[in-house]
Amino acid sequence: MAKLKVVHYINQFFAQIGGEEKADYPVELRVGEVVGPGMALTQNFKDEAEIIATIVCGDSYFNENLEKAKAEILEMVKEQAPDIFIAGPAFNAGRYGVACGTIAAAVQEELGIPSLTGMYVENPGADMFKNQVYMVSTKNSAAGMRDAVKKMAPLAVKLGKGEKIGSSAEEGYMPNGIRVNFFEKERGSQRAVKMLIKKLAGKPFETEFPMPDFDRVDPNPAVKDLAHAKIALVTSGGIVPKGNPDHIESSSASHYGEYDITGVTDLTEDTYETAHGGYDPVYANEDADRVLPVDVLRDMEKEGIIGELHHLFYTTTGNGTAVASAKAFADEFSKKLVADGVDAVILTST
Amino acid sequence: MNRGKYIVLTNNPLVFDKLEKTHEVIYLETTYEGLLREVRDRIHDGHLLLTHPLSGSVKPNETPYKSVLISAGKEEVDRRSLTIIENAIDACHKFQDKTGRYGESVLEDFQLIDWTLLESGLASADAW
Amino acid sequence: MRLEMGHIYIKDIQFASESKIEDGILYVSEEAVKAVALEDEKIKSVSFDIAKPGESVRITPVKDVIEPRVKVEGRGGIFPGVISKVDTVGEGKTYALKGMAVVTAGKIVGFQEGIIDMTGPGADYTPFSKTLNLVMVCEPIDNIKQHEYEKAVRFAGFRVATYIGELARDLTPDETKVYETCTIKEGMEKYPDLPRVAYVQMLQSQGLLHDTYVYGVDAKKIVPTILSPTEIMDGAIVSGNCVSACDKNPTYVHLNNPVVHDLFEQHGKTLNFVCQIITNENVYLADKQRSSDWTAKLCKMLDLDGVIVSQEGFGNPDTDLIMNCKKIEAEGVKTVIITDEYAGRDGKSQSLADADQAADAVVTGGNANQVVILPKLDKVIGTLDYVTKIAGASEETLREDGSLEVELQVLTGATNETGFNKLSAR
Repeated sequence: MAKLKVVHYINQFFAQIGGEEKADYPVELRVGEVVGPGMALTQNFKDEAEIIATIVCGDSYFNENLEKAKAEILEMVKEQAPDIFIAGPAFNAGRYGVACGTIAAAVQEELGIPSLTGMYVENPGADMFKNQVYMVSTKNSAAGMRDAVKKMAPLAVKLGKGEKIGSSAEEGYMPNGIRVNFFEKERGSQRAVKMLIKKLAGKPFETEFPMPDFDRVDPNPAVKDLAHAKIALVTSGGIVPKGNPDHIESSSASHYGEYDITGVTDLTEDTYETAHGGYDPVYANEDADRVLPVDVLRDMEKEGIIGELHHLFYTTTGNGTAVASAKAFADEFSKKLVADGVDAVILTST
Repeated sequence: MNRGKYIVLTNNPLVFDKLEKTHEVIYLETTYEGLLREVRDRIHDGHLLLTHPLSGSVKPNETPYKSVLISAGKEEVDRRSLTIIENAIDACHKFQDKTGRYGESVLEDFQLIDWTLLESGLASADAW
Repeated sequence: MRLEMGHIYIKDIQFASESKIEDGILYVSEEAVKAVALEDEKIKSVSFDIAKPGESVRITPVKDVIEPRVKVEGRGGIFPGVISKVDTVGEGKTYALKGMAVVTAGKIVGFQEGIIDMTGPGADYTPFSKTLNLVMVCEPIDNIKQHEYEKAVRFAGFRVATYIGELARDLTPDETKVYETCTIKEGMEKYPDLPRVAYVQMLQSQGLLHDTYVYGVDAKKIVPTILSPTEIMDGAIVSGNCVSACDKNPTYVHLNNPVVHDLFEQHGKTLNFVCQIITNENVYLADKQRSSDWTAKLCKMLDLDGVIVSQEGFGNPDTDLIMNCKKIEAEGVKTVIITDEYAGRDGKSQSLADADQAADAVVTGGNANQVVILPKLDKVIGTLDYVTKIAGASEETLREDGSLEVELQVLTGATNETGFNKLSAR
């Protein structure tokens, strides 16, 4: 059988071009070349797959020219038409991890080519993309290369062949929210006894089913004097001034926007729209008040039901945005809201 | 026995037949999930959930019938009741809908099982 | 308490003119076992069959699976309060016929499931594909009520298993194992440095086809209590449930409870196995509160360091499981819980209907919604009539080639929550 064709993506560091000073290295396609970690991968493919091209890209270049870099890389991958696309492993390198996750997800989604990446569990790219592409869990530094490629190479071959992928525990990828059955070596009761002995001894143990983290928030006490309260609007529904001036991403948002609505009494089709890519935007674009109810609050302001509407609103897209990112956004703008003397916030989602 | 203390919410005609004359029963022609939503509305209104909405091993969407006990009286919204009913409504979506496929005798069996599940709850409720 | 378990390995089952066990072969007189089954006038007819591992045989709808045992020394008899008179069991000497089971089948309700495949992919999931099965299909008299029929089949299974077990009374076991627990004080003195561990078993207790019996008492009506773990080996707990067969404990699982046996393996080595605590899974929420309060209280009073909690069923018991776990942890007693999952066919849904951060050590028996294709088998014991309506089966259940597309839910014992199997999920 012919070997599976692989295109491999790495950054400037692993291509031995240079460190941070070379991070602006633009996208480069090296047809027929196996570079850096590609060597180790090749060894572990055991003649079942071969790297037909390597794409090198600087981390700053990728992240600062996101759309352009993505388009360039997608074009290169499309041209090579591999059976599988591998990015990284990125270990604990944050921007490299985000780049690997972004491009692997894009190749898989837009070109329909199975993709795989690998990184350390605390790499920000992990939380952002582990549910979108198979992501092998690696150690936190390149010292874990051997271990990483040992897991990545066979998983890549399986993906390339379209074989059934086992559970995360068997294959070594990060749990991706999809529960997969498999047979353990010991029966459940034995596993339970062993887990209990470890737990009693204060030793680390691994639960087979992590409890969902609901992050419950107790509601604040009701606003007593609404007529004198300053109310702000915050949304994850992606409402932005027409043209989306800050380029808030339609999904997996990396930032939020702050916009002034002084004197605005109604969000119209000509002035506002939604940047959100996760719902049918027609009705929000027609009348953005449907998501961010500025019109109604202006009325209430006039009628004296509320004291005033804060002149700034904060917005992002909740679509696929990592919880960690969302928390970081809120941490930042909550402080601004408090500093501006806002008494209460109406948070709208979609 | 003080039967004024609870209300039976059901979409099971057998339960209605059996309890109509002696109990406060609200019979609703709705689906399993629809019944749970009716229960949720009443919990929001301050009623207390008295029996588990996912009683029985017959899965939502497999059996069309569900009967639930709630308190007759109302108080502050009970968070625990709300969590249980919300989780139960969520769970409905995990199972394929098969309720349209049964013959009369199977439907009667589902009604009977739902009744015995409720009956075990009634026994506890009446013991108070 | 000290119980000596004698294992007699059964290598084959054959019908014969006389019932006996010789050289590991169980000979069954069909006439004799029929008579035992028909002692109850509510059973109109019964047919017996034998299903062996590897054979192209499907058994459905399964009601219970029972391992034949006989009490040869000590107080009481097998299945106290059910077949034998009420007397405390769990000490003396008991023989068990290993490698075989009595399987009861019969359609009590129209939507009943419970499949045991003796070969093929289904056999990988149900533990009872590995036992030699003496299967009895019971037909009730006309116009019988479902709960009477359920009871009749339940008891008929126990009677036949007891009859078979009696055949071993005068044999010499192939292997003997001794299980011994200490009293509270003895244990403290004997194992001062070992953590004190108990097994909290939650029993299905909701209504018809959802019940469990302890010494003959309906488990709905018990308050949590303490057993010597050897009591279950004499049949102190029996099954009255079979709906959603994957995570219900047939009597066979109670007799061979794997948590009890694996804790005994470690008893005196890494831990002190103090006792078994049983509690229920009632539908009434105040009952849940009482039972979980009491369970946690017992853990505290017994000065336990850790417990393993096992569940039985889905949905309603998820709430009991989490309440037990949370309250026991709050008493400073460490927990490991055993459950199974309903994560949807795609594995993407929330697995349990309740959750809490206190449940940080979970063992899972797998996702019961996983789809498995069961090929057409040569022989069906019981009836396939209702298989298109069984839990977990879809409209396409019976496919053109006669194979079944089902969820693991329908396979007896497939995702057992006492940790009986190796199946898991991540």
